[in-house]
Amino acid sequence: MKILIIEDEPELAKGMVGYLAGQSYLCELATDYHQAWEKIGTHHYDCILLDLMLPGGNGMKILDQLKAQNKEDGVIIISAKNALEDKIRGLELGADDYLAKPFHLSELSARIFSVIRRKNFANSNFIQQGELKVDLLAKTVEVAGSVVTLTKKEFDLLLFFMGNKNKVISKSALAEHLSGDLADMLDNHDFIYAHIKNLKKKLTEAGSVNYLKTLYGNGYKWQYE
Amino acid sequence: MSKLLSKSLKRFAAYAGIVLACSIPVYYFAISTLWHYELDEHNIILTPEAGREDTFFIIGAITLLTVLFFALLLGGFVWLNRRISHRLWQPFYHTLEKIRAFDLSSHTAVDFERSNIAEFEELNSSISRLLDSNISAYRQQKEFTENASHELQTPLAIVQSKLDLLMQDSSLTSAQAQIIEETNNALSRVSRINKNLLLLAKIESQQFLELKDIALSEILQQILDLLSTLFAEKVIHRKIDSSYIVKGNPILLEIMLTNLLMNAMRHTFPRQEIELSLSDNVLVISNPGMHELDRNQLFGRFSTASAHTPGSGLGLSIVKEISKRYLWNVNYSFQNGNHIFEVAF
Repeated sequence: MKILIIEDEPELAKGMVGYLAGQSYLCELATDYHQAWEKIGTHHYDCILLDLMLPGGNGMKILDQLKAQNKEDGVIIISAKNALEDKIRGLELGADDYLAKPFHLSELSARIFSVIRRKNFANSNFIQQGELKVDLLAKTVEVAGSVVTLTKKEFDLLLFFMGNKNKVISKSALAEHLSGDLADMLDNHDFIYAHIKNLKKKLTEAGSVNYLKTLYGNGYKWQYE
Repeated sequence: MSKLLSKSLKRFAAYAGIVLACSIPVYYFAISTLWHYELDEHNIILTPEAGREDTFFIIGAITLLTVLFFALLLGGFVWLNRRISHRLWQPFYHTLEKIRAFDLSSHTAVDFERSNIAEFEELNSSISRLLDSNISAYRQQKEFTENASHELQTPLAIVQSKLDLLMQDSSLTSAQAQIIEETNNALSRVSRINKNLLLLAKIESQQFLELKDIALSEILQQILDLLSTLFAEKVIHRKIDSSYIVKGNPILLEIMLTNLLMNAMRHTFPRQEIELSLSDNVLVISNPGMHELDRNQLFGRFSTASAHTPGSGLGLSIVKEISKRYLWNVNYSFQNGNHIFEVAF
């Protein structure tokens, strides 16, 4: 899977590459508008991470041109602006997702995972992992052929973990993912325990291997070789 | 307090009255002296009765005439003065009206009517200059907040990504992971403060213009559903009995209601009760509390009421700012050990 990271802030780009490279993604980097444009013209990417404010031009123009050329690359806009108009315009121009800075790398990885899934498998969309089978369209999970009923949050969590295979995810990243903007208004992040506990219980009771490991008391890891 | 016009008029009228009063004995003396002189000169001898009668008749007639003309003069005087002054001070009243209607946050400069009186023209241009510099200072301050918040997002994203990477280090100890998590929590608080400042700046600079008709009960229900998964252990008594439709920006309304509800929930201990009632256009949210909060500071920025709350300190100022835009009325009171927030839409 090839990913193009268009980001002019070298440290942030380095962080993204560092995290995603471990996820068996092949990352390329463009640090300005022209470089980005050159790469997009000559290569196909499964997902493009696009910063809107670039030296040399506006990221929106890249989106415009991708659309004009009927390119199928998945695009996630990464913006410092978090302006609603940008988000709406970006999605209208064919971006698949919008992520506002600052974000957790695990959130980014989960979004990339879901964008690539959506792009590559238009009609039937399954993730098979050992005895686990996730149907992304029907939003159902099967363990060795029998259906496990998950709540919306639990399903969401499962996908988040699968999109961050073998990575340590902090509790705060999970809390932010599950509660969005409300996360830091909460006195504690204990509510995620319940969701994780239930998810774990449902999967293992249905006969799945326990892929979900707790680390350091406040981190989680979906371990699957 | 009296008006400028009536002030000068009153003095004029009083002066005219005094002159009139003083003139009566003078007239009396002058005419009776003249009368006696004329009688003596022509050697006319009248009976005392006839003399008195004639004196009274003449003095009476002259007094009457004098009073009549005086009144006429005074009336005309007042009328003229009022007319002239009124026209004279018209530019001043225009200016006053313009200043009264001026709203700093609307960013619109004031256009004064031109006047051909030097003093008023000078007054207007001075006020214009004052307002212009105020508007530009205000705008700069807003832009600064907005720009600073934007510029902070990228470094924050860098710190966040470094922490996430650090978390992947396989040689990490539990204690180190704990430190990372604590840093994460603080960082997410900084991000939230930053986002809220940006939001405030955007509301103040008149963004979020889209208006929609929104059913209050529906949007409340949605927010409550969302929050109930986070606050399962808190009891909410709801009495939603209204089909009131409010006109506003759906995003702002949602932010405002979420902030008010989050506020109540965060300051309520598990198993305590939160009362929520919506009837007609009035929403009341109350939660138990120990002390009355400082009403003057409550809606101010960064005025966190208690030390242990992890909020951004901007939630209620955002509520205030949104309600200000739509002229909704938000009130706080403390009754029977309950914090009560009331919003009249």
